[in-house]
Amino acid sequence: MTPPSRRAAINSSASHVFEVLRFVAEAAEPLGVTEIARRLNLPASTVHRALVTLEEANYIQRYQNTPCFELGMMPHLLNRALLNHFALHSYSRPQLHALAAETGHTVSLWYRLGWYGIRIGGAFGSQDIHHRARLGETDLLHRGPGPAAILAYLSSSERQAYARFAKAKFPELPPIGGWEEIEDRLAGLRTRGFARQSLPIARDFHAVALPIYDAREQVVGSLMMEGEFDEVNPSQEMHKAREDIEAGLRAEPKRFESPFSHIDVDEIYIRIIDSNDQP
Amino acid sequence: MSESLPNDRGQNKASARILAVLCGFASDTPEFGITELSNVLDMTKNMTYRALTTLVEQGYVVRTAGGARYQLGYRVLELQNNALADPDLRALAAPAIRQIFDLMGETVNLLIRVRDYAVFIDGIETRRAGTYRLEIGGLRPLHGPVSGLVMLAFGPDAEIEDYIARHPSLNYPGREARTEAQFWAEIDAIRERGYGQMLHPGALPMLGVAFPIWSADDKLHGVLATGGPAERVAPLLEESMGRLQQIMSELISRTRLYPARRSDWGFG
Repeated sequence: MTPPSRRAAINSSASHVFEVLRFVAEAAEPLGVTEIARRLNLPASTVHRALVTLEEANYIQRYQNTPCFELGMMPHLLNRALLNHFALHSYSRPQLHALAAETGHTVSLWYRLGWYGIRIGGAFGSQDIHHRARLGETDLLHRGPGPAAILAYLSSSERQAYARFAKAKFPELPPIGGWEEIEDRLAGLRTRGFARQSLPIARDFHAVALPIYDAREQVVGSLMMEGEFDEVNPSQEMHKAREDIEAGLRAEPKRFESPFSHIDVDEIYIRIIDSNDQP
Repeated sequence: MSESLPNDRGQNKASARILAVLCGFASDTPEFGITELSNVLDMTKNMTYRALTTLVEQGYVVRTAGGARYQLGYRVLELQNNALADPDLRALAAPAIRQIFDLMGETVNLLIRVRDYAVFIDGIETRRAGTYRLEIGGLRPLHGPVSGLVMLAFGPDAEIEDYIARHPSLNYPGREARTEAQFWAEIDAIRERGYGQMLHPGALPMLGVAFPIWSADDKLHGVLATGGPAERVAPLLEESMGRLQQIMSELISRTRLYPARRSDWGFG
């Protein structure tokens, strides 16, 4: 059995390694040892050792032969492996591509995981002019039209539980208009039947999202479309794609269960940072 | 020496092992038991268990519903950056290309299929005399080199029949003419073996071997090929085939995470 002091040393070293890895992952640009050590308030030697360990294992890589580091290949592979565990990720691919091809707009599939939404599928439209969206993108259910189209359709008690979770864990990320207004906003979304948001990319660029129901008539995800719209409404093609995805969910409910359905929702914690707070 | 101390390169051995165990989950296998994972990673069960315990504490791995096995955890979702694109096939294959080159010392080519051609997209060319050339962007008809035949062989029969209808002569410079039946026999041999191997006769007989690179949807991303003068390559292949297949197996465990169509990779 490992003596406690030695075990503690291993855990402390591993936790520094993961701390450095998360910091490199969140950084807006490649960072060097000194900067990481300063921002994490760790000795430069500890950060150097963590960087060497992470680089050897392919978790980070040097940025264009400079002494600065960015994410390497391994986190990409782990993310892709995780997405592959959601059966809806590959199942929805043909529908999403067909919808993007037919409309020219970028489409995404958001899926509920605990109190978060994850973008588990997507296809760029031919009219897409600027997009940094990526699979695996995760956000709280009150942030953005994709996750909000899920939150609006949770039961009243679930929405209250969600608000408690979000206020406790992410007090720095309140909804637009504050927690006082969110119920009214969600009620408006339910009346409309979809979520919508203007995008800052250009004038007339919007996102709309439709809830997706499973076999138990529970909302488990949403189908989102982004682009330049004359009318900010979900198109007929979008409704049809949603129906196709829901037909799959109804036909094989067991296959499409979340790989984390055995974990209590309140225990699922994923760090979310505001893009404006990136290091 | 405590195992948490750094090695010569300054790497922390215990942390390196924890990262290696997490790497084991970057595959198309959804969950592992400790014995299974320790076999895959060639680690003792005790080391694997300790690494898993840390990974569970960190949230990068979670126990499965039954509690006895382990699956990838949702906290890997934190390890992403919007500004970075997913790796492409060249990036995924780069370590395997280097390993095969180090093993064989011969030219290694990465090729993809574009319509009826195999196209060279990456590789390493040996400096030895008498070699297959690496011609990035170069095209070869699929019925020519062994890499092209591998691309055809793992597609459906109807596609091969259509190909033969478009290229009935099946002639290729440096090769003897072959009948359609002989062509099908070559296809069958590749299917049976799981990879392609071909001897090109001539003044300097050349031996080539080509391995399929499989995707998530059981199609081919492309082919990784190596070879050179038969006199030099044949004995090497005999002694290195096991290692070659191991390198390919490691590569395919990663390429199987991605669908075959490139446009589905980054956002699909």
